Amino acid sequence: MASPPNRLARFLLISLLLPGGAAAQVREYDVKAAFLLNFTKFIEWPADAFADASSPFGLCILGQDPFGRALDEVMKGETVAGRNIAIRRISDLPEPQACQIVFTTETGEEAVAGLRRLGPGVLTVADGENFVREGGIIGFVIENRRVRFDINRTAAEAAGLKFSSKLFTVARVVRK
Amino acid sequence: MANDAKRLLRLLCAPAMLAVALRADPQQGTAGQPTPSSLKALSLEQLSQIEVTSPSKQPTPAFRSPVAIYVITGEDIRRSGVTTIPDALRLAPGVEVARIDGSKWSVGIRGFGTRNSRDVLVLIDGRSVYTPLFAGTYWEVQDTLLEDIDRIEVIRGPGGTIWGPNAVNGVINIITRSSRETEGTYVRIGGGNEEQGHVGFRYGGSAANGLSYRVYAKGYTRGPEIHSDHDNFDDWRGVQSGFRMDWDRGGADTFTFQGDLYQQEDGERVALSSYVPAFTGVVDGTASLSGGNLLARWTHKLKNGTDLQVQTYYDRTNRYEPNLGENRDTFDIDLVARTRAGTRHQLTYGAGARLSDGRFLEVASGLVFDPANRLDYLLTGFFQDEITLIDRKLSLTAGSKVLRTNYTGLEFEPSVRLLWMPTEKHAFWASFTHAVRTPSRAERDFYLSSYLGLAGGVQLFARFNPNPDFAPEQLNGYELGYRALIAGNFFIDFAGFWNHYHDLFSQDIAGPIHEETGLPFPQPVQPGSYLLLPAEFGNDLFGSSSGGEIAPEWRPANFWRMRATYSYLNMSLDTRVPPTLGSTPASIERSSPRHQATMQSSFDLTKALQADLIYRYVSALPAQSAPAYSTGDARLAWRFLPGFEFAVVGRNLFRPGQVEYAADPGGPVAIRRSVYGSLTWRK
Repeated sequence: MASPPNRLARFLLISLLLPGGAAAQVREYDVKAAFLLNFTKFIEWPADAFADASSPFGLCILGQDPFGRALDEVMKGETVAGRNIAIRRISDLPEPQACQIVFTTETGEEAVAGLRRLGPGVLTVADGENFVREGGIIGFVIENRRVRFDINRTAAEAAGLKFSSKLFTVARVVRK
Repeated sequence: MANDAKRLLRLLCAPAMLAVALRADPQQGTAGQPTPSSLKALSLEQLSQIEVTSPSKQPTPAFRSPVAIYVITGEDIRRSGVTTIPDALRLAPGVEVARIDGSKWSVGIRGFGTRNSRDVLVLIDGRSVYTPLFAGTYWEVQDTLLEDIDRIEVIRGPGGTIWGPNAVNGVINIITRSSRETEGTYVRIGGGNEEQGHVGFRYGGSAANGLSYRVYAKGYTRGPEIHSDHDNFDDWRGVQSGFRMDWDRGGADTFTFQGDLYQQEDGERVALSSYVPAFTGVVDGTASLSGGNLLARWTHKLKNGTDLQVQTYYDRTNRYEPNLGENRDTFDIDLVARTRAGTRHQLTYGAGARLSDGRFLEVASGLVFDPANRLDYLLTGFFQDEITLIDRKLSLTAGSKVLRTNYTGLEFEPSVRLLWMPTEKHAFWASFTHAVRTPSRAERDFYLSSYLGLAGGVQLFARFNPNPDFAPEQLNGYELGYRALIAGNFFIDFAGFWNHYHDLFSQDIAGPIHEETGLPFPQPVQPGSYLLLPAEFGNDLFGSSSGGEIAPEWRPANFWRMRATYSYLNMSLDTRVPPTLGSTPASIERSSPRHQATMQSSFDLTKALQADLIYRYVSALPAQSAPAYSTGDARLAWRFLPGFEFAVVGRNLFRPGQVEYAADPGGPVAIRRSVYGSLTWRK
């Protein structure tokens, strides 16, 4: 017979290991990581976005990394049009052709202006609905505790990216 | 008592410490939870539908509004463990909530809290629940399934331009979730010492063509609070059910159709006065309260980008109280349009009409409305222009409501608001607003008598007679505010105000004591049978209030959220014609707390265990014999099986009972420490 304190400890332990309720307990950046993977499937990058035919697909986190291990877990074993995915944490704007997606949580004006200068072949993604207004391509927004995204269509076209119409139908807002 | 609280805290902290010790890596999912890689299989649509825990704070529409607004989310309500809407309002800054007895609350915003919250406008899904009988809100009958509340928007300060009359000190906007977001089954049962038993049920579903729906039902029985005379009159019980349907026709049109029905029996103690012996008395009885409503809303997007909204509702309330009764039918229709003009102007304009038919039922001769029946109307129109002065940096919003009721001529409620956002994470705003509280039947049709005693062997009464000249109460409000999003996990909101009131409600002596000689009203009397001190409701108070609120929010980790509020209020009222009867300037000033503070910690110990702690401080209300108090609430919830949650909630934990307000006749009522457990199943 286990003594009462022992039983309590076991009870607590079991409770900690049990799964949560049906109401999903999903972290915001886990969902955003899955979105990033999905974007690569519905967007076509021009060939000149890459240094050469064998260079990997650069997924770059500029500044603070909010994903933890989620991004690595999601991207593990995935490819984009036959290219391996290389996740890079960078602190400055990348060299040309190094990154095909740049994600950042920095949405100050200077940071966004810098991202706009990145030129064609780069998908810029950030948090907040202002990002697409200021010329960013995809902005994550939270609506009713759900992760949604806005698209700036003009910026996408200027970057030479081909968006599948699927993205436009799922997006919360598509700006011209 | 303090020891109990400490013991409880220790008990609550033990699992927390254990959880922290076991939490090898907070990023790591527990068994059975969706891991990041399992989300890979989901489509874009499915990802868009996942509810995430503690989403990060982003500049929302509320962040950019030049208004002192605080949003209590549905999750805040569920995690606070409250079981009534007025208790949920304690979470917002600038709101003074005091429970009078089991089923009565005094709710005020920036002062002037009373049982009826005369100058606060309350809406549930766009339906005004402000009654023209006594001017205000009967909080005990404002309810819904709390699980289905999306958010409560609390606007401090005048909101007349948009919301209309009586939005003088604030607006409380209770918004339920769309039925698209409440699919599935929800069942809850619970019980405890004060919250003796409650059940809740909801089922929601959808059809393929964009139509979704839900039905709900709830019931509760609640025990009495603590009475020094052990006369436990204020237990209450009720049932409510309702439905909501939303039909999204893919873009251009959405329709909402919803309704509720309720019935409750509330123990109530009232003072009665009568012109026949024994002249006065305190009666314990039961208020039988029931009602229902139906609401339809259509929103339509025109090709040119204009949004149109048409909303109409019908609302019925029945009150049968130990001292009076009333049946009321209200019809309302509102139209709002929103359109862009050029690149700089966002125009919002609209019109509305309301008819409210009240039928008074006399129970005691000292409390009479004459005429017994009256049809009140309200006509409104408004126009507002949001002008962009510098793109995304500086904007000016100006507009006015114009309204007319059967008690007033044309009244205007103009406002000017300026918003400056030097960056998207900092917002400064300033505003000037004018708002009115329109007269109601309580000033225009109401005879209220109270027995004062024997004077020279003759019975002496005081009686408020109707005042046909009672005018709207007026407010000019000046406000300043600042919000900042500092890093992704720290947010702070400051607001300050100076309100200037004139023509405020007063209770005036209308002449010398005289012998009542055969006045046929309220009931035939023998000439010379009593003495009367005549009184009436006037507009003789004026003055100002000033103060401010601070509301920071900090998320140290994705499993821990902390919020706090501090509210300061200074009221300074005066009267044009001393002396007044009843509520004097000093007694109004001293019926609102000068300081209020809250602290709230929401902690996810594991994915299956949540702990919430709330600390509250309210300074004294000397005119209500309510001393300052500090107290705490706690909730521990455990998801022990998929879909099942068990929660234990304790409220007012620091002492067995505290007096919060003293409006009942008879002795003070202390609001008790309460504990309940609940079991919830969601599928």
